Amino acid sequence: MQPTAPRNRLRKMLRVGIPVLLTVLLAGCLLPPDPKTEAGRDVFNLYLVVLALAAIVFIGVEGFILYAVFRYRRKPGDDVLPEQLHGNNKVEVVWTLIPTVIVLVLFVVSIMTLNEVEARSENPGVTIEVQGFQWSWNFVYEDGPTIGPRGNEPPELAVPVGEPVRLILTSDNVIHAFYVPQFLLKRDMVPVNENGTPNDIEFVVSEAGTYAGQCAEFCGTDHAGMVFTVNAMPRADYDAYIAAIEDGETPPTGGGDCETTIDISANNTRFDIDEFEVPADTAFCIAFENLEDVPHNVAILSGSEALFEGSFLNEAGSIIYEVPALPAGDYTFVCQAHIQAMAGTVTVTE
Amino acid sequence: MSARTMQAHPSGEHEAAAAVAHGQSGMPMALVGMLLFIASEVMFFGGLFATYFNARAGFAGTWGPPEGGHIDLPLAAVLTAILVASSFTMQFGVWAIRRGDTGKLKLWTGITLGLGILFLAGQLYDYTELGFGLSDGVFSTVFYTLTGFHGAHVFGGAIGLTVVLARALRGQFSRQNHVAVEAVSMYWHFVDVVWIALFLIIYFLR
Amino acid sequence: MATTTLEPRAGSYHRSWVLDWLTTVDHKKIGILYIVNSFLFFFAAGFLALLIRSELAVPGMQFLDQNTYNQAFTMHGTIMIFLFVVPVLAGFGNYIVPLQLGAPDMAFPRINALSFWLLPLGGLLIFSGYLFGGAAAEGWTGYAPLTSDRFAPGVGTDLWIIGLALVGTASIMGAINFIATIFKMRAPGMTLMRMPIFVWTILVTATLILLATPVLTAGLIALFIDRNYGGSFFDPAVGGNPILWQHIFWFFGHPEVYIVILPAMGVVSEILPVFSRKPLFGYKAFVFATVAIGLLSFSVWAHHMFTTGAVFLPFFSFMTALIAIPTGIKMFNWLGTLWRGKLILATPMLFSLGFLSMFLIGGISGVMLASPPIDFHVQDTYFVVAHLHYVFFGGSVFGVFAAAYYWFPKMTGRKLNEPLGKIHFWIHFIGFNLAFFPMHQLGLSGMPRRIGDYSPDAGWTILNMVSTVGAFMIAVSIIPFLINVVATLINGEPAGDNPWEGNTLEWATTSPPPPHNFDRLPPIHSERPLFFLTQGHGHAVERPEDLVEEEIVDEKPGDIERRPKDLV
Repeated sequence: MQPTAPRNRLRKMLRVGIPVLLTVLLAGCLLPPDPKTEAGRDVFNLYLVVLALAAIVFIGVEGFILYAVFRYRRKPGDDVLPEQLHGNNKVEVVWTLIPTVIVLVLFVVSIMTLNEVEARSENPGVTIEVQGFQWSWNFVYEDGPTIGPRGNEPPELAVPVGEPVRLILTSDNVIHAFYVPQFLLKRDMVPVNENGTPNDIEFVVSEAGTYAGQCAEFCGTDHAGMVFTVNAMPRADYDAYIAAIEDGETPPTGGGDCETTIDISANNTRFDIDEFEVPADTAFCIAFENLEDVPHNVAILSGSEALFEGSFLNEAGSIIYEVPALPAGDYTFVCQAHIQAMAGTVTVTE
Repeated sequence: MSARTMQAHPSGEHEAAAAVAHGQSGMPMALVGMLLFIASEVMFFGGLFATYFNARAGFAGTWGPPEGGHIDLPLAAVLTAILVASSFTMQFGVWAIRRGDTGKLKLWTGITLGLGILFLAGQLYDYTELGFGLSDGVFSTVFYTLTGFHGAHVFGGAIGLTVVLARALRGQFSRQNHVAVEAVSMYWHFVDVVWIALFLIIYFLR
Repeated sequence: MATTTLEPRAGSYHRSWVLDWLTTVDHKKIGILYIVNSFLFFFAAGFLALLIRSELAVPGMQFLDQNTYNQAFTMHGTIMIFLFVVPVLAGFGNYIVPLQLGAPDMAFPRINALSFWLLPLGGLLIFSGYLFGGAAAEGWTGYAPLTSDRFAPGVGTDLWIIGLALVGTASIMGAINFIATIFKMRAPGMTLMRMPIFVWTILVTATLILLATPVLTAGLIALFIDRNYGGSFFDPAVGGNPILWQHIFWFFGHPEVYIVILPAMGVVSEILPVFSRKPLFGYKAFVFATVAIGLLSFSVWAHHMFTTGAVFLPFFSFMTALIAIPTGIKMFNWLGTLWRGKLILATPMLFSLGFLSMFLIGGISGVMLASPPIDFHVQDTYFVVAHLHYVFFGGSVFGVFAAAYYWFPKMTGRKLNEPLGKIHFWIHFIGFNLAFFPMHQLGLSGMPRRIGDYSPDAGWTILNMVSTVGAFMIAVSIIPFLINVVATLINGEPAGDNPWEGNTLEWATTSPPPPHNFDRLPPIHSERPLFFLTQGHGHAVERPEDLVEEEIVDEKPGDIERRPKDLV
């Protein structure tokens, strides 16, 4: 049966239209975020190469399937068998070569990019230990402060722009993963035994800004809430930021606005105060400073039920807890690691 | 309709085709099954051995039993000798029944079963003397898991031997019909080989 | 038995019918039990999927709390993989492999029954965690040390371990049975290179199960010892190594992927030739590619662990990329089968074509994931979720439905309704792509998997909503399928022995086959023993007798090229 004219046109439309449509679709989406690190840019470019290869294969194969469905569909009443073709060695050799070449190209370009991503400088500008715990983060600056979660605010990782930042990724409980989508980089934070070395990563942020990050390895109940932000800023701002934290001030960027801030410090397994008073139904902050290398936190209990649990400072450092509003009444505040020795009274007044 | 067409083509082959039966030729089906089962067991112990090597490679400090405990090489060597000997006695039993000698089959199977039980008893005694438990660190965990699962397999083999012995005593085996003896002996040799590997790795490659 | 004169009373007849199914050792009944059982678990796990998608449709926690959500995706993954996709394909294998071999049953019929009955037992144990304070909630991969007794004290995780060990044992016994059957019970004349391609894929699958699953069993035992007897395999706090679990799990888990996909490839490789009215293009290459995939599958496990920093990336990246070559060969073989065929777009063919186009996407994203730098970005994100669903669902489950429509007439003697089947296919196909294609983009923009909640500022809301709509479309598409099955069983079109003009031996007996399967077998000179018997019948050939006399000599590639011209 000869194809009629409209059929021909339809076929031509399909033959041209579908690849174009798919290309537009593929080009319009299926892209990672705009990379904000130098190595991330390499990964992005690698991804573009791979996506192009993928698009060629996709369009070729899906195109052929569609073509076959339209072109070779059996006409009603056609009982004649098609040629019973069992194979063709030459063709099969050729099409063994096609995927071989594609994957070899992919492998070579991947390893080249991998070397960029995995490059380590001798003297990184900053080295920060990232501690993952259930379910937040501590950022421990080498010879500097520790920044942890601040109440309901996700913890903020401050890094300088334009110089290598080395992160040592540790966990003392389950496996977490450090992931910043806009860096196109993630690495597992594996708890290691005494013979193990923690993972590290290194990157150079190319553009100042705040970037969302999140734990990417399922780590239990509140895995979804284990988020952080990266605050990348010029070196001078970065130095000021760190200095402010070391002075116990709220860092210049971010941080909560608290009408009431209670200062508590811990030393020799004791709190420096044994009572404080806050207004009822009003959120407040606790600026907690740990003066020794013993894990401490501040939690507020009503009986044995914890109304607020601040994250632990495992060594000397400071943190600002944002405590949600409490109804009027008397509560206790404790360090949950030393409930007997470190306790005091919170009076919430009308 | 296909049947009709087939009839149009008389060739002696289809009559034979209808008579497809279990294990028509070559190795008996039960032995094929046993060989495949042993293949899966090899992978099972392979997995356990992998945990051993992984733990050993990642261990800080001296690899071995925890403080206050020890492993008993002489006793383990005796146990090894017992188990290796039992492999030979098992094989003598198999050769006996291949000749049709049911008397010798009973004798050798009985001896093999005795050696197997002796091995298990020796291992249990060993456990009581070592001075460390499963939860005393990584070495202890892999040690007891490996030897324990091997012991469980010896126990399984002993049950198989008991069945073979009981059937032999009832005169159920003959020169032509003794697949169960062959199958159990295969398994027993396998358990023996696993032990030799265990012995070399735990006691010698420390 | 047929001459028995005792008339059973109505009540006792009913009971014996149930007892008959409970105690059967007939591979066909066991096959059907496998399939029915698997679909029940499919519906249960599918319900969990709908819960997950409902929760993710918009930001915030609406239906579930975090813990329930974590249990839901853990159970969804575990049940779908271990109690649906693997066993349902094993069920088709159970039914079809002995028939395709011309054998009266499996090699070990009683072990066959046992390995089936362990499945519902294991599945119910896994699910029963819900009755004892919560099911396992650590993901189907159960990464240590999250599964340790410190972080997962509930008994649900122990039940998960025991259930999986039972299911694993069942599949090992099933694998032994398949391999023994295939090696020992082929009809006279059926050499290995004349076996139907589905049998080949089952053979390789069974070998992978035989060699991979025991390793998982060892790992599960180690985990159980850690949790219950103070062992220290995986917990770093007591000197263990959590990465060891990942090695063990994926040493099993990657072959598992091929355990899941190979039989589906086999199904499609049976259907495409029949509905293109051509032989499979490059049978030998296809067999070698299948074996090559099986071999390679044991050397690629660590590509699941690129971001752990604990594996040698170039090696595993290279081996993983290599798998694309045999897979590519298969894809070309399928396309070669379509080429110049005469395609009949019945429902089995639609699902097979759906398999080709969807599995292609899963294959492409798999090759992308083989590149470590790209994996660093998309590992553990929705990109991986998209990838694995394009392989498991777009691949295997499309294969399952293709098999269901293709072999239903053989199993029941009745053909499923075509219009309903096509409705099922199209809703399914569109729903599937709506549900899973957006996940590629979600993953690329950084949405991690296994989160029950996400920020409204992340820009993931629209795609998640689309995905949820797609998931419900898939659920809706099952309705015409179920109606079709029930209606066909009650009053379906009788199928006859060979409704599709298939060329393998299962079509050479009645539908459904008698308990002993075959009264007589045709001679076997190729992988398509029925080809001349059926194709020489009623179509272009006027005198089939002549043809049969002359042509059933030896169908070898090479001879065959000139034969169709005689036919035409």
